[in-house]
Amino acid sequence: MIELHNVSMSYQPDAPALHDITLKIDKGDFVFLTGQSGAGKSTLLKLLYADLMPTRGQVLIDGVNLTRIKRSQIPYLRRSMGVVFQDYKLLPNRTVLENVAITLEVLGWGKRDIGKKVFHILKQMGLEDKINSTPLRLSGGEQQRVALARALVNDPKFLFADEPTGNLDEANKEQILAIFRDANVRGTTVVVATHDRRVIEKSHRRVIRLDKGSLLEVADVQS
Amino acid sequence: MSKANRPLANKSANKSAVKPAVRPKLGREGFFGRFGYFFGRALANLRQNVFVSVVTVGTISLALLIAALFLLVYVNLEGMAEGWSDKVQVTVYFDKEPVPLAVAALKGRIKAIPGTSKVTFVGQQEAEQRLRGRLKGQEVLLEGITPEVLPASFEISLDRSHRDNTSIAFYVAALRKIQGITEVQYGEEWVKRFNSFMNLFRLIGALLGSFLAVTVLFIVSNTIKLTIYARKDELELLGLVGATRFFIKAPFLIEGVLQGALGGGVALVALLGCYYAFLKNAASFLGVNPAAAGLTFLPVAYLAGVLLGGILLGFIGSVTSLKRFIHV
Repeated sequence: MIELHNVSMSYQPDAPALHDITLKIDKGDFVFLTGQSGAGKSTLLKLLYADLMPTRGQVLIDGVNLTRIKRSQIPYLRRSMGVVFQDYKLLPNRTVLENVAITLEVLGWGKRDIGKKVFHILKQMGLEDKINSTPLRLSGGEQQRVALARALVNDPKFLFADEPTGNLDEANKEQILAIFRDANVRGTTVVVATHDRRVIEKSHRRVIRLDKGSLLEVADVQS
Repeated sequence: MSKANRPLANKSANKSAVKPAVRPKLGREGFFGRFGYFFGRALANLRQNVFVSVVTVGTISLALLIAALFLLVYVNLEGMAEGWSDKVQVTVYFDKEPVPLAVAALKGRIKAIPGTSKVTFVGQQEAEQRLRGRLKGQEVLLEGITPEVLPASFEISLDRSHRDNTSIAFYVAALRKIQGITEVQYGEEWVKRFNSFMNLFRLIGALLGSFLAVTVLFIVSNTIKLTIYARKDELELLGLVGATRFFIKAPFLIEGVLQGALGGGVALVALLGCYYAFLKNAASFLGVNPAAAGLTFLPVAYLAGVLLGGILLGFIGSVTSLKRFIHV
């Protein structure tokens, strides 16, 4: 479960990126975080995977207060999360296999197990024939799916995605959303930050709307 | 504390909640298993970043080659200067030539003084022969000179460690305490000037060496910093997928050590090449026979020092650079 209590975050004094946000996302939930550019979507996601700390308030992930844990504990917490970054953050000089394997190497998996698991997830993503390609040889949609594979390969409890459909065509968008749905069905709590209205409307999920750093509304499942 | 800022979960709850996420499946436990992984990762990194690795190794090699060349020149110049100190000699003169038994006894007592290297007795006859040898062709100057006119003497060479001003003064004082020895000469002025020159030479060497060491450290650490900066995305990503500081750092540190060792090795091979090229060509462009000048290559301890210096440069350069880019 994810809980935010009166969370504020400022990069500079007098210019809060988030202001007094209180919200709760249940275990196994699938929510969209939306709002215009600069609304604070990415900042909120960064607070969830402890890349930023709030200047005020508390962030709890499965009962763990992120503002109270030691810095050295953060890596262990992140191992239960999968993050899809807006800029993918794929390593250009490593192959698709190596890019996805990073998540499992960090967990201490053996080489053989990594090979099997990575192949399995890449097959699910329809990328098994790109396993030895480098990211620069892939299309935008393929790169996005590699980033997703990296985030999902260790069956995380939480999946956070920042504008995952930003530069994709409709077919690719649908494919990515299907992967999110599958992960959610398997029990992963999914939080997707997007300003793409059509994606939200198609998905019929709970929507958290931000505006200039404040929580505007939490709309229940849309039909 | 406001209600909003009050911690919502206590520490034990935090711990118990975080720990289950710790490495759910382990394929590689123990030091060697992990070291094997880190070493493999470091080698893969070198392969995947060939250009950056070559630049780093090249910079370390050049920097160490310059330092090693300086050492080579310094060691040879010092060896040459030390050779001049062989001229430091203490001479004991006698008014009357001692009898052979007394010569043996005195020789024994002189040899017992710490710092004595070699003691040679020069009798009046030998002194006269030496003088004649030196004035060959000017025999007219020797008219009327008989062996009795020249004093008998002991010529004493000193160990290297006893050739400085203070040690010689102590040595001469000890000599004077021996009964039967009255006049001692050792070219006090020359010894003082020679020792002043050696001190100045060592001081200049140490200063130049220090400047060079700082420059090498600066260049190498900045090169490594730039190469790590070029891979800051990788460092950031590793942190975001849950790698600990140690997990991120270890392959980079091993990479730094490998690059340093390789740089040191290349520098030594290049130094050997420079040395033999100089030996082969010095005669033609300097008019000096290097073999006759007694040039030597660096001693093994110095070579090991250069290699170790490379390894340390790689390691320390990586440690200091990583500090700046790891935010886990």
